[in-house]
Amino acid sequence: MIKIQKINSVIEASSLCVDINTPPILKTLNFQVKKGEVYALLGGNGAGKSTTLKTFLGFNIPTSGNAKIDDQEVTEALDTTREKCAYLPESATLYPHLTARENIEYFLSLANIRKSQDDINQAFQKVALQQDAWDRHMQTYSKGMRQKTAIALALLREAPIFLLDEPTSGLDPVAIDEFNHLVRELALSGATILMVTHDVYGACQVADRIGLLRNGELVGEFDAPENGRIDTEEVHRAFAQKESA
Amino acid sequence: MNLSAFSTAYTIAKDEWRYWLRSKIAITVLIIGLLLTLSSVIVTSINMLELNHDRHDLQNAAEQTFVEQPDRHPHRMVHYGHYAFRLPSPLATLDPGVDAYTGNSVFLEGHRQNSAMFADQRQGTALTKLGSLSPAFIVQVLVPLLLILIGYSSVSRERESQTLTFILSQGTSIFVLIAGKALALISLIGLILLPLILSGLFTIGNGENPIVVASFLLGYAFYLIIWALMIILFSTALSKNSESFTALTFVWILFCIAMPRIASTTASTTVPSAGKLETDFTVIAELRKLGDGHNANDPAFAKFKASLLAQYNVDTVEDLPINFRGAVASRSEAELTTVLNKFAEKRMDEELSQTQVSRNFGWLSPMVAIKTLSMISAGTSIETHHRFMRETEKLRFDFVQSLNKVHVEQLNYQDDINRNLNEKSSKQARVDSANWQVLNDFTFTPDSPSTRLQRSVSSYLQLLVWIIVLVGFIQLTGRRAQ
Amino acid sequence: MNYMFAQLIREWRFMLTQKYILVLLLCTLVISGFSVWSGLREINQQEQTIQRLLQADEQDRSETQAKYSDPGYLAYYSFHLTYSPPSAIAFAALGERDIYPWKHRVRMLALEGQIYESDGQNAELAQTGKIDFVFVLSALAPLLIILLFHDLYASERASGRHDLLVTTAKSGLALWGARAGVRFITVILCLMLPFYIGTWISGSSLDSVLQVSVWSILYLLFWTLLSIWWGKNASSAPRVASGLIGFWVLFAFIIPILGDLAIQKAVHSPKGGDILLTQREAVNDAWDLPKETTMDAFTATHPKWKNHVAMESMFEWKWYYAFQQVGDQKAESLSQAYRQAAHQKYDLSGYISLISPPLLLQRQLTRVANTDALAAFAYEQQIRDFHKRLREFYYPPLFKGLNLGRSQLAIMPRYKPEAHKTKNTSTTPQLH
Repeated sequence: MIKIQKINSVIEASSLCVDINTPPILKTLNFQVKKGEVYALLGGNGAGKSTTLKTFLGFNIPTSGNAKIDDQEVTEALDTTREKCAYLPESATLYPHLTARENIEYFLSLANIRKSQDDINQAFQKVALQQDAWDRHMQTYSKGMRQKTAIALALLREAPIFLLDEPTSGLDPVAIDEFNHLVRELALSGATILMVTHDVYGACQVADRIGLLRNGELVGEFDAPENGRIDTEEVHRAFAQKESA
Repeated sequence: MNLSAFSTAYTIAKDEWRYWLRSKIAITVLIIGLLLTLSSVIVTSINMLELNHDRHDLQNAAEQTFVEQPDRHPHRMVHYGHYAFRLPSPLATLDPGVDAYTGNSVFLEGHRQNSAMFADQRQGTALTKLGSLSPAFIVQVLVPLLLILIGYSSVSRERESQTLTFILSQGTSIFVLIAGKALALISLIGLILLPLILSGLFTIGNGENPIVVASFLLGYAFYLIIWALMIILFSTALSKNSESFTALTFVWILFCIAMPRIASTTASTTVPSAGKLETDFTVIAELRKLGDGHNANDPAFAKFKASLLAQYNVDTVEDLPINFRGAVASRSEAELTTVLNKFAEKRMDEELSQTQVSRNFGWLSPMVAIKTLSMISAGTSIETHHRFMRETEKLRFDFVQSLNKVHVEQLNYQDDINRNLNEKSSKQARVDSANWQVLNDFTFTPDSPSTRLQRSVSSYLQLLVWIIVLVGFIQLTGRRAQ
Repeated sequence: MNYMFAQLIREWRFMLTQKYILVLLLCTLVISGFSVWSGLREINQQEQTIQRLLQADEQDRSETQAKYSDPGYLAYYSFHLTYSPPSAIAFAALGERDIYPWKHRVRMLALEGQIYESDGQNAELAQTGKIDFVFVLSALAPLLIILLFHDLYASERASGRHDLLVTTAKSGLALWGARAGVRFITVILCLMLPFYIGTWISGSSLDSVLQVSVWSILYLLFWTLLSIWWGKNASSAPRVASGLIGFWVLFAFIIPILGDLAIQKAVHSPKGGDILLTQREAVNDAWDLPKETTMDAFTATHPKWKNHVAMESMFEWKWYYAFQQVGDQKAESLSQAYRQAAHQKYDLSGYISLISPPLLLQRQLTRVANTDALAAFAYEQQIRDFHKRLREFYYPPLFKGLNLGRSQLAIMPRYKPEAHKTKNTSTTPQLH
């Protein structure tokens, strides 16, 4: 059974500046993600979405300001903060010469997590990966199936925080629905989720809050109403306006 | 291929060149390659010309000092001996071959076949065990590596960036694409071979046969084309740049670094050849049966003595009109030389069959094929060294026997017998120094062009089979890729 | 401990799923095995040759001794075998034994006329070189290591797994450390296992095996660390490998070739031919010189025989051997300079090898195996010493005009190869 630990996880960027040699750069970025919340960073190409995510994973060192996870500066406590995060890369290529199960086992062993075959099977079921593919080499997988495997891995890691990089890009509509459903479920069970995306509709579907990112700055935030979803039209307008500006 | 296909291939080749010129790695590698070939050609040329000059002078000096010796007992001159030096062939400037590994001078004296002495390697630094700065080594070993570094991604790059599908969907055949890439690589090969070609022309000026030079250069062109084809093949067959690179590097390690040495090791272990020292024992045993030519009373010469006495119809050797000691020396030299040559030939045969085993590895590695072809064409292979040994042996035999003839005809037997009696008798037992003119001028010339061309046929065959097989494989993979 | 072990097990299993790595490792094992096998065979052949030569030499000399009793003739016709047997570990480093002679027959004539003769092997094979263990280790192993390690990071980056791997792993060491560690251990096993079997067959001393192991592992570690470090931040594997192969070409070819050119320019050596010429002129001129001149020159270095130089005939053996010796003495300064130059070249190449790891390894291992130029120099000195003993044996009968009896023949000097010491492995060049 998958359990999400109930600790008060918070992702926080305060006056975050990142200037690595290559653009985009982040200039004074501020946002917080509360425990059990789904936060979507929405932006076009080159807005700094992936840079933000990579900063929270500890790959970029902030020039100034802070990137904190659970009140810990990421770069100062790299191992502990990384352990709390399950990361879902944009094109989740696992090892194509291994089966999905072998991949999961390999990565879990890397994280020093022991799981029974039952747990792994349950995770596969949860992400709706068709059963006949579980023990097939992943080079035969479609993009959606690879994504599902990676999500299964993220679930099995039982991390309280999820960092998702363009999780739905390249998925078919059914898979997107399934995925969004899963994300909501995770949030309900107490997980903190930060996702970056350029998909306005998807973000509105799943996020409790949306931050609009442009040129490394947050240019607007949208909150979901109580028991409702963020208005797609509104976000879209803001997004298109800013894009064309 | 029709005209439009050809112009497409030409465009693709031009595009490939543009890619190289814009890529830092390719341009660095290209410059390094040109510098290496150029400097190796220059340095080796200077070295070999110096060697040629030195040995020429030494040869003249040796002849000079021999002729300038004072009046002496002729047999003393037999032991005074003479030197022969091997002059490098003009093409040795491009492939010095075995020059540094065999001695390049032989001391010629009576009753002995000396081996060549003073191999340069023994005064060397042991630094060049892995490779030397000869154009042959650079082109055989390093240039293929440079070609790989430049060309590994020629087709796989198009596949990885998905431009391949784009090109094919425009109606360009994969074979036109391959032809274009090959054209680019071949023009690159032409550029790298340029210093070699110029240097080859230079050797023609130095008296090398133009057909041999052409064959030498053509061999290298074939060899590098084999590598170009290999690069195209792997780049087409494998879908990723990194895979193509790894596979090509691995093939290069196998063909250029491991295989030649595996070949020579296999040759020396499967065809063991007794060293000169060991055969010397057998030679000595046979020689002992022949008798000592210094000692005319050796019982081995009893029969010869009897026949001589009968021939001149006299009773004692003192009555012979000729010098009996000289006659014995001359006869024993002839017999001994027959024995020595028998064993020398046997040893050379063994070395040749060893070499043959090693050369057969040309079917497994084009590098071994071109190495053989190159040394044979340049006249720096083991065969040429063998011929040097044979020619110096003939030189040795001729001058020793000429001196023996002087001994027989111009020195009185009585004077000869009494040579150690006192100062005066010793002076009496000498002949005029004018006789030292018997020495023939010795200049070692490389094998005739036709001999060298004939010897290189099998290596050419190996290279051609490589080309055919590779072209076949490229067609197969090309069809699959289409 | 247990945790680290688990990491290694995981990466070991993972490696077994990567076919091209297995192919590479298998090739490494096969080539290393071949080099050791052929090295053992070569050494075996050398040992057998020495045995045959010893036997033939013995027989040849006893035949000569049966035929002649006059010490002059005996000395003229008696050849003496000298040889330098391969050390037990020489199979791994055949070294310079295909260039320098390791067997020689000398007699009491002027030594300078004999010692440069070479009983060379097939020159074309010598030019190609042999594939011994040292070659596999110094030249091939770096390339295999480059192929194994260059894409440690780059392949993961290129396929987009790098970030996921790093964020998933407990620590960098558990991932990269274990992965590189497993590959390193396996490649060492594939390279060294045949060698250890070889040392077991040849009965090499533990000391020498240990030295070879330490140098080899250090060397392989150098290339591994270089490969890993060079590829640490790269995402294009071919780029990384190109750079590393560039290092290899630099270390294995460019530095040695430039060093060789520099040393050949810097060290002036008399031409070998000049030594021979000097010696030959001296020996031949002696026939025409007054006997006293020769004898004076001889007794200057051998005062013991001052009172025995009077001659009764125009030819006496003692005079003959005296002028042979004087011939050597005349050529001595040249010969010394020639040897010194060779020695100096060896020493200078020691400096060059400090900036070229493959050379350094070759130098160290051929030293341990006693198959380098130093060993060849030492062997040449042993021949010279033996020749001296031989002369000292013959001088009393020659100068006192005695015949050699059986009992004296029994104590005739015999060549005994000196056992070499593996201890002396200093690389610090010493100028003489």
